[in-house]
Amino acid sequence: MRNPYEVLGVAPTASSVEIQKAYRNLAKKLHPDLNPGDKAAEEKFKEIAGAYDLLGDAEKRKRFDNGEIDAAGVERPQHQFYRDFATSDHGHPYTDNSGFADFMDADGALAELLRRGQRARANRRGEDLHYRLPIDFVESITGANKRLTLPDGGTLDVRIPPGLVDGQILRLRGKGAPGTGTGGPGDALIEVEILPDRRFTREGDDISLELPISLSEAVLGGRIRVPTPTGEVTMSVLKGSNTGTTMRLKGKGAPRRGGGHGDQFVKLKVVLPKPPDPELETFVSNWDKGKAFNPREDRTSGS
Amino acid sequence: MNKQEFLTYSGLQAQTLDFWLEQGWIIPKETSAGMKFSDIDGARARLIEDLKTNFGVNHEGVDVILHLIDQLHGLRRALAELHNNIQGTSL
Repeated sequence: MRNPYEVLGVAPTASSVEIQKAYRNLAKKLHPDLNPGDKAAEEKFKEIAGAYDLLGDAEKRKRFDNGEIDAAGVERPQHQFYRDFATSDHGHPYTDNSGFADFMDADGALAELLRRGQRARANRRGEDLHYRLPIDFVESITGANKRLTLPDGGTLDVRIPPGLVDGQILRLRGKGAPGTGTGGPGDALIEVEILPDRRFTREGDDISLELPISLSEAVLGGRIRVPTPTGEVTMSVLKGSNTGTTMRLKGKGAPRRGGGHGDQFVKLKVVLPKPPDPELETFVSNWDKGKAFNPREDRTSGS
Repeated sequence: MNKQEFLTYSGLQAQTLDFWLEQGWIIPKETSAGMKFSDIDGARARLIEDLKTNFGVNHEGVDVILHLIDQLHGLRRALAELHNNIQGTSL
């Protein structure tokens, strides 16, 4: 960090008027927006602006002169200058072509080249706009029609096709930013986020579900109602079903890309009544065969 | 950014901004929800602020400078396009 007096080219005894004058003279020559083509101008400008931040403020200058703060303490935060935006080739309202309008009327290679560039700009396609849309798991399987509210207050109707996967991007043609001339509008690109579901999980085209059943349903079997993303269906539980028994509902999974559907797998989970039932307790304590059955028989003792 | 957010972001007085808008120094996008300001408007506001407070340029001076800077950027872009077109044709 150079001494701020040196940076501004003034003597340490300079008056505040002299300092301001020195700063203005340098800043006028070095301001990046007044030197859009000079990459080095920005660094130099930052240096003199930093020096002026320090010396232009009587209070700070006094503290600097007394050695309380050093020149590094007033480094300027990075900021973007107007030139960083003005030269980008996106159309903006400050564009002014009058500086070469006279060339355009003339014939010749230069005019033709300039015209070609202008035509390209005049017929520029609009930008693609990116959005995110969260949807429910069930909607991702069955498909849905959603309305997206845009930052500018407008809305966009989005048709979610059945069987969509998390992170998939939907392209709505012509729903992006408007273009200029015959360029046509850009597209809206919508990234779909599938919110997790309490019940269902998806693996490929198949859907898994853990379904609690009662002890009587497990022992005696029976017909139970099973939720699927497309609504409830009836399924038979076989006699003697167990926790972990998995059954398949054919064609109840997610739609496949090439047609048809995956399957839904229903994993049973036996749940005892809550609170514990005294009658069941009495039965089990008198149930000798039940006590004799050791489900861990085939395992070697761990301890 | 809407107008209120832009005022907070730029630290400008509402009266000052209104004057700049009137002069056409700042041209926000007009949407159904009102004026919409973007980063380029912010950077331009900072430039105007620099010119007025740090360089001591008066209203008329700012007007002239902005007009010349806009033309300069138009020329720079035209030159860049020429450069690209010439490179393109020589290939």
